[in-house]
Amino acid sequence: MAAPKAGEGTGMPDPIHQFEIHAIVPIKLFGWDVSFTNSSLFMLVAVLLIAFFFIVSMRSRSLVPARLQSTAEVSYEFVAGMLRESAGEAGMKYFPLVFTLFIFIFVANMLGMIPGAFTVTSHIVVTAALAAIVFLTVLVVGFAKNGIRFLKLFVPEGVPILILPLVVAIEVISFISRPVSHSVRLFANMLAGHITLKVFGGFVVMLLGAGAYAALAPLPLAMAVALTALEVLVAFLQAYVFTMLTCMYLNDALHPGH
Amino acid sequence: MSDPADGRGSGKGQMSPEDKAAFEGRVSDLGDRLGKVRAQRAADAHANLDAEMRGRGMAYGMRMAAELVAAVIVGGLIGFGLDRWLGSTPWLFLLFFVLGFVAGVLNVLRAYERMQKEIKARTGGRIGHGIADED
Repeated sequence: MAAPKAGEGTGMPDPIHQFEIHAIVPIKLFGWDVSFTNSSLFMLVAVLLIAFFFIVSMRSRSLVPARLQSTAEVSYEFVAGMLRESAGEAGMKYFPLVFTLFIFIFVANMLGMIPGAFTVTSHIVVTAALAAIVFLTVLVVGFAKNGIRFLKLFVPEGVPILILPLVVAIEVISFISRPVSHSVRLFANMLAGHITLKVFGGFVVMLLGAGAYAALAPLPLAMAVALTALEVLVAFLQAYVFTMLTCMYLNDALHPGH
Repeated sequence: MSDPADGRGSGKGQMSPEDKAAFEGRVSDLGDRLGKVRAQRAADAHANLDAEMRGRGMAYGMRMAAELVAAVIVGGLIGFGLDRWLGSTPWLFLLFFVLGFVAGVLNVLRAYERMQKEIKARTGGRIGHGIADED
């Protein structure tokens, strides 16, 4: 991106500023900094919104759902269908986890689209924690259900004994790389999208303050509008992809055969 | 309502020829209009699906990149850790870096296979073929 020269003065608003964490209620616990930050605030808002939405929408519990109730039911059907398709009926046991992940990521992403709001999922700590939950669940479930046979996941059939150690090493690396790519993808998408939006927004401001060039200002503005639409799509798609992969990893834990 | 049905059921209609012609005209007119609406709906659905798939294309692209890079990083880190532990710098790092790359390519291939299946299931393999890129 065209970086403004050092002497250009006011120039561009800092596109990274929106990701800064600052404590709202500083708390120290046994020497650890466990302050209530703006990130915690938005996580709390997301959770409260979700809880509020589902409590209100499912209050009537009518057979013929009204608008709110059918929204809630559609979201249930969506995630349940995804889980059933990739992990089978046995996977439905883990529906609460998968549904919670999907709704939380989706709402957090969407909250981030509100101007001025903080995007929780644009920090790798948050996405890594979510991915770690999935990874550990897969490990625990895999060993609990299949015992030592779970390790078969790393030993493909029909491989000559000579190159087996190599293949196992590769499979292990591939397995360990899962939580990394799982978390990096979500965080990178949200981070990149928000920076791009901010940069284009910054272009509008810069052009407006550049005399005759102000006539060009609508161009980046149009771009920012188009990007906003794209970002809304990405916010949903990334929640979807995260959930989809969770389902697939759970499937590996339940049926390590293939 | 039962009268016309009876009439047709008995083979010879009790409708006069003019009535019958008018009726058939109306039927075929309705058929035409229905056909137009159906074609429009199918085209809309196809356009929607196409747009959705394009949006998804980006998500898939990011996914591929993440799959590849993550495995290389993990492989490198494992090698680096083993080297520091065993004091064999830099050999294990080099070995595991390459293994990480192999694992990354494997990840990408697997992700691609799944993706193909997903897209086929979603679109019946119609997307990307025979749709002119006129917009």
